[in-house]
Amino acid sequence: MGQIEWAMWANEQALASGLILITGGIVATAGQFTQWYFGAYSIVAGVFVCLLEYPRGKRRKGSTMERCGQKYMTKVVKLFGPLSRNYYVRAFLHLGLSVPAGFLLATILGTACLAIASGIYLLVSGVCGQPADAMTPQSLQPPAG
Amino acid sequence: MANCLLNHWLSVLVLVMWLGLNVFLFVNAFLSYEKGDKYYYTREILGFCRRTLRKQLDHNLTFHKLVAYMICLHTAIHIVAHLFNFERYDRSRQSTDGSLASVLSSLSHQEKEGDSWLNPMQTTNMTVIYMTLTSIPGFTGVIITIVLVLMVTSSMEFIRRSYFEVFWYTHHIFIIYFIGLGIHGIGGIVRGQTEESIKENHPYRCAEFFEKWDDHDFHCKSPQFEGNSAESWKWILAPGVLYFFERILRLYRSQQQVMITKVVMHPSKVLELQMIKRGFSMEVGQYIFVNCPSISYLEWHPFTLTSAPEEDFFSIHVRAAGDWTENLIKAFEQQNSPIPKIEVDGPFGTASEDVFQYEVAMLIGAGIGVTPFASILKSIWYKFQHADHNLKTQTIYFYWICRETGAFAWFNDLLASLEQEMEESGKVGFLNFRLFLTGWDNNIAGHAALNFDKATDILTGLKHKTFFGRPMWDKEFSTIATIHPKSVVGVFLCGPQALEKCLRKCCHQYSSLDPRKTQFYFNKENF
Repeated sequence: MGQIEWAMWANEQALASGLILITGGIVATAGQFTQWYFGAYSIVAGVFVCLLEYPRGKRRKGSTMERCGQKYMTKVVKLFGPLSRNYYVRAFLHLGLSVPAGFLLATILGTACLAIASGIYLLVSGVCGQPADAMTPQSLQPPAG
Repeated sequence: MANCLLNHWLSVLVLVMWLGLNVFLFVNAFLSYEKGDKYYYTREILGFCRRTLRKQLDHNLTFHKLVAYMICLHTAIHIVAHLFNFERYDRSRQSTDGSLASVLSSLSHQEKEGDSWLNPMQTTNMTVIYMTLTSIPGFTGVIITIVLVLMVTSSMEFIRRSYFEVFWYTHHIFIIYFIGLGIHGIGGIVRGQTEESIKENHPYRCAEFFEKWDDHDFHCKSPQFEGNSAESWKWILAPGVLYFFERILRLYRSQQQVMITKVVMHPSKVLELQMIKRGFSMEVGQYIFVNCPSISYLEWHPFTLTSAPEEDFFSIHVRAAGDWTENLIKAFEQQNSPIPKIEVDGPFGTASEDVFQYEVAMLIGAGIGVTPFASILKSIWYKFQHADHNLKTQTIYFYWICRETGAFAWFNDLLASLEQEMEESGKVGFLNFRLFLTGWDNNIAGHAALNFDKATDILTGLKHKTFFGRPMWDKEFSTIATIHPKSVVGVFLCGPQALEKCLRKCCHQYSSLDPRKTQFYFNKENF
């Protein structure tokens, strides 16, 4: 179990949560639901999360498959400094981002999924003892295999 | 395009029928809610309703994934639709303009014979979130959607290939999903007018006079409603029961004792296990699921059988490709400790059985992907030994593409004895080997150049010489098409996706449109 890099799954989960937040936000805003401004927030938060999580971090063991077109995103993400490298920071950032979306039914699913992703990131950095700044976004490395 | 359709017409037909059925059921349910009389008042508050349908048939992985995508799509539609519904229920409840919607919303639980309410939001200070989380459908809906998202994210190809355990164990929460799905509809929140109520208050006659419903003398009484009963369980029940029985059967089969008769460690980290089990019988190219309790109680991994049905044991070749396989090899490498216990489930069938249906067969294996073909070749050898000349197959081209020389050693004896056998029975053209070494260096090439004139190959000792680099498929296909101008050629691949794409293209390119001339049919092993 110690071999498993949970951060990879957390990354997939966070990416999915971002998409769910965007979808929920669009529904709430377009339908002009009560308190639809939470929906607008959710779209922005969702886009931010997606952009942050899109570049797949480098695995510690074995080759990593890049996501399509990820190298352009990596340059932007690197600008965020410790945000992009440190798991603790990511975990708390996601937790914080997910809270406002929890006030609206349309986006509450996004909240739950993002909170779970945050939990997995926390698990990675705290419990499994993997160093918190292990993640280095893939730069211009050619895709493996 | 025409060739593509010809190759896969059955799959295409099944897919089209299944999609058609899905569309029909969706439209049917939609129209029932959109047009049905009993839902007139429901529509009044909501606008319209949607209902989702889910089917599952667990035949093979591709279909499984397709069904999963459908479930996700319908879940999204379902959730979005209900979000709009709840919003409108809320608005109707809050509104004080005395419209039909607001009057309908104020029909409450306590009226006359109980259940005449239509709007599930009973008080003006109930929020949508509160209602969702405290009602059965809402709560189960949220839970099972989270479960679905977790299952999908852990099934992404990258996670599956790299961290199999995450995928395998997370996927088992489908149990929660289906139980939740069955319970989901129990709340009866989606309501329609009862039959008796329609007689007293038909929407077409009475809807405009809603202010007068409370009048005792008026001919229209207040409408009565009932909730729709849960329906999902009807869809899930039969497949669920089938799946349950299959699991029990597999559990029973796996408990039968397996005796390991021989363990061989091959170079390039490949382990061969020869075993016997009571009542075990196989066909060429089938696979089994293997479990090793000392490594992991719950993990079952598939391996192709590399032995022939004619042998009195069955064998698998295991290559180190991840946690479990590495641990297995390590466990068997220990000289001093007792041999680990193995449990076996299967065998299960694959496309290799079709090899003997084709006049000409091209068998292409990359690395460890050669295993199903090993079984076929062994079987051919036994058939020849017993003079079984009823084989439809006239010619076989066997391609084996390996990265390292050590890999050839696995089946060296097999290939050598087959080569000899063919020579002795005078059927040299029946079996043609083409071995390709893709990971070569100048050293090896130098050696090969020096020994060019020798009758046998320096790497394998076979009469067939080893080629260096990857095969040039265009040349291979055109040569075969020329040699066999009127035959149907079956192309079988067990290897990576990139190779599959290339071969499919060649199959379509070199199959002539005239059905009497050469036709190439592509078949791929699923793993």
